[in-house]
Amino acid sequence: METKSSTLEITILSAEDLRIDKKPVKKNAFVVVSIDAFNNKATKMDREGGSYPSWNDKLVMDMPMQTRFITLQVKYCKSSSGGERTVGVARIPVTDFIGGYSPETCLQYLSYRLRDPKGLKNGIINVCLRLKEPVQNCSSQAAAEAVAASGGGVGMGIPIDGRIDFGVVTGIPIWSGYPSNSLFR
Amino acid sequence: MGNCCSDVGGGMMAIGGTAPSTSAANQNDAADWYFKSRGIQGLFSQIELSFSATNLRDRDVFSKSDPMVVVYIQERDGAFTEVFRTEVVLNSLNPKWITKYTVTYQFEIVQTLLFRVFDVDTQFHNVAVKMLKLEEQQYLGEASCALSEIVSKANRSLTLDLVQREESVPSTYSQHRGKLTVHAEECFSSKTTTEMTLKCLNLESKDLFSKSDPFLVISKVVESGISIPVCKTEVLKNDLNPIWKPVFLNIEQIGSKDSPLVIECFDFNSNGKHELIGKVQKSLADLEKLHSAREGENLFLPTLVGHNQNKVLKSKFFVENYSETVQYTFLDYLAGGFELNFMVAVDFTASNGNPRLPDSLHYIDPSGRLNAYQKAIHEVGEVLQFYDADKRFPAWGFGARPIDGPVSHCFNLNGSSNFCEVEGIRGIMMAYTSALFNVSLAGPTLFGHVINRAAMIASQSLANDAKKYFVLLIITDGVITDLQETKDALVKASDLPLSILIVGVGGADFKEMEILDADKGERLESSTGRVASRDIVQFVPFRDIQNEGTSVQSLLAELPTQFLTYMRSRDIKPNS
Repeated sequence: METKSSTLEITILSAEDLRIDKKPVKKNAFVVVSIDAFNNKATKMDREGGSYPSWNDKLVMDMPMQTRFITLQVKYCKSSSGGERTVGVARIPVTDFIGGYSPETCLQYLSYRLRDPKGLKNGIINVCLRLKEPVQNCSSQAAAEAVAASGGGVGMGIPIDGRIDFGVVTGIPIWSGYPSNSLFR
Repeated sequence: MGNCCSDVGGGMMAIGGTAPSTSAANQNDAADWYFKSRGIQGLFSQIELSFSATNLRDRDVFSKSDPMVVVYIQERDGAFTEVFRTEVVLNSLNPKWITKYTVTYQFEIVQTLLFRVFDVDTQFHNVAVKMLKLEEQQYLGEASCALSEIVSKANRSLTLDLVQREESVPSTYSQHRGKLTVHAEECFSSKTTTEMTLKCLNLESKDLFSKSDPFLVISKVVESGISIPVCKTEVLKNDLNPIWKPVFLNIEQIGSKDSPLVIECFDFNSNGKHELIGKVQKSLADLEKLHSAREGENLFLPTLVGHNQNKVLKSKFFVENYSETVQYTFLDYLAGGFELNFMVAVDFTASNGNPRLPDSLHYIDPSGRLNAYQKAIHEVGEVLQFYDADKRFPAWGFGARPIDGPVSHCFNLNGSSNFCEVEGIRGIMMAYTSALFNVSLAGPTLFGHVINRAAMIASQSLANDAKKYFVLLIITDGVITDLQETKDALVKASDLPLSILIVGVGGADFKEMEILDADKGERLESSTGRVASRDIVQFVPFRDIQNEGTSVQSLLAELPTQFLTYMRSRDIKPNS
């Protein structure tokens, strides 16, 4: 079983209205892009941006075909102690840019709502991304696997009202104190 | 019958070669300010029209006609007022006039122009063209068109047949009166914007107890020696080695790349009396050289004695970054083959009232008076039709039950089950009237299906790499029932080359609809956590008052901005 992968070029543009402990973030925000637990990259820090930082940082990563989500974590560094805290997290379902309205090799601008570790809304993140190779280049088995894994395709999805939706549901756990590292298995 | 001989002296006058006229421009302030703050010229461009004609009628006995063009603009009430006259060309039936008419191109209104050609019989030597009395001249013919017809053509030239005044349509036996060609050019001397990051080292301290608070003022030097300030940087507090934020200058603001500029560094004082720390005199071309050589230039202070000697300071001035970008205008994209495709969706919900009763919003008045829906379609369609090459517009209705079937929230207005397009604005009006009597109004008011259909069309065009931008007009009388589903559809479509104009007719309270327009509220968020990447919705209530045109016009005026933002952010150039 081959695991084909495509190359994802993602440019983290900016974020809006970031808060930590209800106060606006002062500086040193940066973003970590994770495809899985071991495949992640970080942007540079925006030292003066404050709660409306802008990075315009382009990251190139390998994206295996089974990927279902790309996770963006906005963190900031408290300059004194050097420790980093997570400001907010957003998850981009791969179906938002593959199989959507725009071809996946076309540059797409996407924005997402960030949620802090407690699950509350905390700002918006703006990115633009594209795949270097179109999805059809992969072997048909891997492609079919990816489609089945994302809950669509033949045999899946019961049509309601004449529509067959096979998007991915993004669930937000409603209980607080959910340990953040178990979100990324 | 014309004159026996023409005025030869008049034909020898020099025309043209003078400075371009500066007419007042109606600028759209908000969009203009955004772009001007980036050094980009406004979207409301000045257009220069030049004229030539072929095969004019010969009205003089011993020589040929001496033609002149008079240009009229159609006002709001339909009357034409004269705005411009070209010069008189001596003895020619195929003249090329030199004087050009400058008009401000406004996207959101239909600017109808009328051109009349006259043979000048009276003496015009040494007479200002505007003093010539038109009643004394021979009328040769006229032609009219809309300004958008000229600019949306690939070569920006439109050739029209000249007709007699009394005929509205040229008859098959009309005597040949010749053709008039109108050519449009944008009056931009330069579309290049320069971005520079400037810095200084080792500035002198002018304040007593702290360091200087420096800022720069860039001025251009005009012929008389006076310097006129062009731009000013921000003030950096307490900094003797400042690096300012990038400065954007348009070459048109300065004159040319070699025009002398004076860059003065002042120390900011809150009492307003800023002290000069030093200055340099460079042109843009010199600044570019400074940047590539990575050298600094010493600031100098003019001495009070007024000698040619200036006190050269140890402080240095550097150009950290220098880059030039070309900003394409909306008209550039039109010339490059880009189109605006118009699509329309009409609300057929029962809240409109029974179409056969006069108080219904859908009532078709036999006297020909347009109802609110027809007016909205006409107002928007009349402007946008010129920018659509094939004039085939998808038209849908929603919220009604076709003769045999359940309620549909996106049915083709032309009654077909396969294709949704109609021909021209007339086709939309006819399909609308026939659909009214072939469906039964139902409900509820849902936009999601229509938005998804429009998004599919835009997405297919994007996949085919077509140079099309889509505009969907939704005319509704009520508040939508599926706010979240509409938001989801809009968020998914926000990355497409699509703009949605929602016009609310009737007397309902449309406060809730304003949520969809991000100008008036927050960015739209879908149920999956995705946020709209662009604001693609504009909403306006269509009130039936005297200036009902203006509310829709302000809607249309936003379109070139949305179009340009989409193209510029994706770096799509007109000549790709």
